[in-house]
Amino acid sequence: MVQKVSILLCFLFFIFGCEEKEKQPDTGTLSINFKHTVDNDLLKFDTLLYVNKAGNHYLVDNIQYFISHVELVRADGAKINIQSSPIHYVDTDIPATQQWNITDALPEGNYTGINFIFGLLPADNQDYKFVNPPESMMFWPSNLGGGYHAMKLNGKWQRNDSLINLNIHIGRGKTGGDVFVDNYCTIKIAHSFNIHADSQASLILDMNVNKWFESPNTYDFNAYGSGIMENQEAMRKICENGVYVFSCK
Amino acid sequence: MKYFQYRYIILGAILLLVGACQPEGEYILEKPATPYNISIPKYFPTQLNIPADNPLTEEGIKLGRYLFYDGNLSGRTSPDSLMSCATCHRQEHGFSVGATSRFNDGRPFGLTGRKTIHSVMPLVNLVFNSQGYTWNGAINNNNNQLGNPDLGVPESQPYTHQNIESIVWMTIVDPAEIDGSIERTVHAIAQKPMYPPLFKAAFGTEEVTIDRICKAIAQFVRTLVSGNSKFDRYIRGEENLSPDELEGYNLFMTEQGADCFHCHGGAGNPLFTTHLFYNNAKDNVFTDAFDRSFVTGKPSDKGAYKAPTLRNASFRTAFMHDGRYKSIDEVLEFYNENLVYSPYVDPLMHHLSTQGIQLPQTKLLKLKAFLYTLNDTAFIQNPALGNPFTQPK
Repeated sequence: MVQKVSILLCFLFFIFGCEEKEKQPDTGTLSINFKHTVDNDLLKFDTLLYVNKAGNHYLVDNIQYFISHVELVRADGAKINIQSSPIHYVDTDIPATQQWNITDALPEGNYTGINFIFGLLPADNQDYKFVNPPESMMFWPSNLGGGYHAMKLNGKWQRNDSLINLNIHIGRGKTGGDVFVDNYCTIKIAHSFNIHADSQASLILDMNVNKWFESPNTYDFNAYGSGIMENQEAMRKICENGVYVFSCK
Repeated sequence: MKYFQYRYIILGAILLLVGACQPEGEYILEKPATPYNISIPKYFPTQLNIPADNPLTEEGIKLGRYLFYDGNLSGRTSPDSLMSCATCHRQEHGFSVGATSRFNDGRPFGLTGRKTIHSVMPLVNLVFNSQGYTWNGAINNNNNQLGNPDLGVPESQPYTHQNIESIVWMTIVDPAEIDGSIERTVHAIAQKPMYPPLFKAAFGTEEVTIDRICKAIAQFVRTLVSGNSKFDRYIRGEENLSPDELEGYNLFMTEQGADCFHCHGGAGNPLFTTHLFYNNAKDNVFTDAFDRSFVTGKPSDKGAYKAPTLRNASFRTAFMHDGRYKSIDEVLEFYNENLVYSPYVDPLMHHLSTQGIQLPQTKLLKLKAFLYTLNDTAFIQNPALGNPFTQPK
């Protein structure tokens, strides 16, 4: 009896041992490089060079922001969610944040687009989600709804002969009473790129700063002043414009 | 089975005999120093700035505490020539300088009477800081400079410019502080009978070196954690703020109010500093060669300095990089109506166009009431952080 069972086990071992393993899809990785421009020119910080659609002359000192829930669109329409790091922080003062090496194993092939959230979705936008800097420094005051800034864009603009400080800060807004609304943008960019097996593809995600103030809303610094954290209308307009701010190369 | 047991017994006996025959001391296994885990207050950063070659240990911290308070750190023995870290970093003032000391204008002077370039920064929660130390952030992990030949310190290890350890040796040779020499300090410490055993417990041998002195003091400084103020208890849900304190907090946290939080933190950044550098509109003429632009080389950083933590601020008597303000009242008055325009003012100072936040006195008092909730008396009075020569060990 024992002999028969042994022979059977050996037989089964050979059968399954010889079976060809299921072929794993070939995969590669992706690096996203963040670039900041004004109408095709690389952004030059701290220099009064730029004019927006409303005619405001301005300079940019620094920009900090989150992008989250990136999904890559394959040629067949399938969407691949980046899972290794659902939220990425970018800071123009911290070069390391401007290159994001995504460690997800991405199926090779042709991709036709990239989608992401500019800022944080309500589920992510919770107090104390980040306790370590630099992300923790993006916290949004609890009396204004809490969570985190989606973006801080700090600079100055010229009014008469003076430079006025400019803080385009986006986060949770108040629509009246204690009703809060999360301000973020859903970005969808059509862009063709390829992922090759065992290699790292690279994308450049370009923020054109002037687009924040251009369309569909002409954003005039004279109308909204320096700080807009308590001005939901201003934040909403910025977010509506945000849809057109990014491009991919 | 028995064969194996006997074999191990015989092997053990041989090893014991061989070990016993060695010259005394050479092969004695030292008791390793005891690892120390910092207790991190709720909502504080979990990333700590502790160099890999200087982990915290109970014994290292104990030694560091003695050295921190030991006037012989000056390398001198005459009673009028003693100076230690604690001479200027006084616990009752939140480990900052205070008016009750001889340094009543905010900028202390060293043993030779020469004043320091900048005011004294408080030594608190520094273990959570990775943005550089001192008012201009010159001491940081990216600084590869070594030594200071002008002051007789060789351009070699361990004389880095990177972390709290570096600040210790710099203090010893700085003409505006101890104005001593490395050799003299090491000699003075090694001469005291109490120290060799403490060095042995902390580092394995009794040898006193400048590297070990710096490391031990840095370990102690990293344990100076303040996280039990009334405000801490408020965000932990353990205590309420009064209506005035709460209103003051709301002013602190809003752009249209006092807008302090962007540089000084709040519930989401309970260090009450970003540890970053800002020109906060104090001046329009800049003569200090050691502002932030000294480190970055950027003209836009002219007149910029680190935003100090507001924790325990009311225990201090010198504010701003040059100690020009003596009280929270003076600081609030400055931010309320005395901002000065220059092209270098940080964009976050968006009340610049109105010369200040322009709050009525009643609201300023509420803002002040909130600032007092950042006082951590348990920290200020913690005997375990006090002078070990006069307090419980």
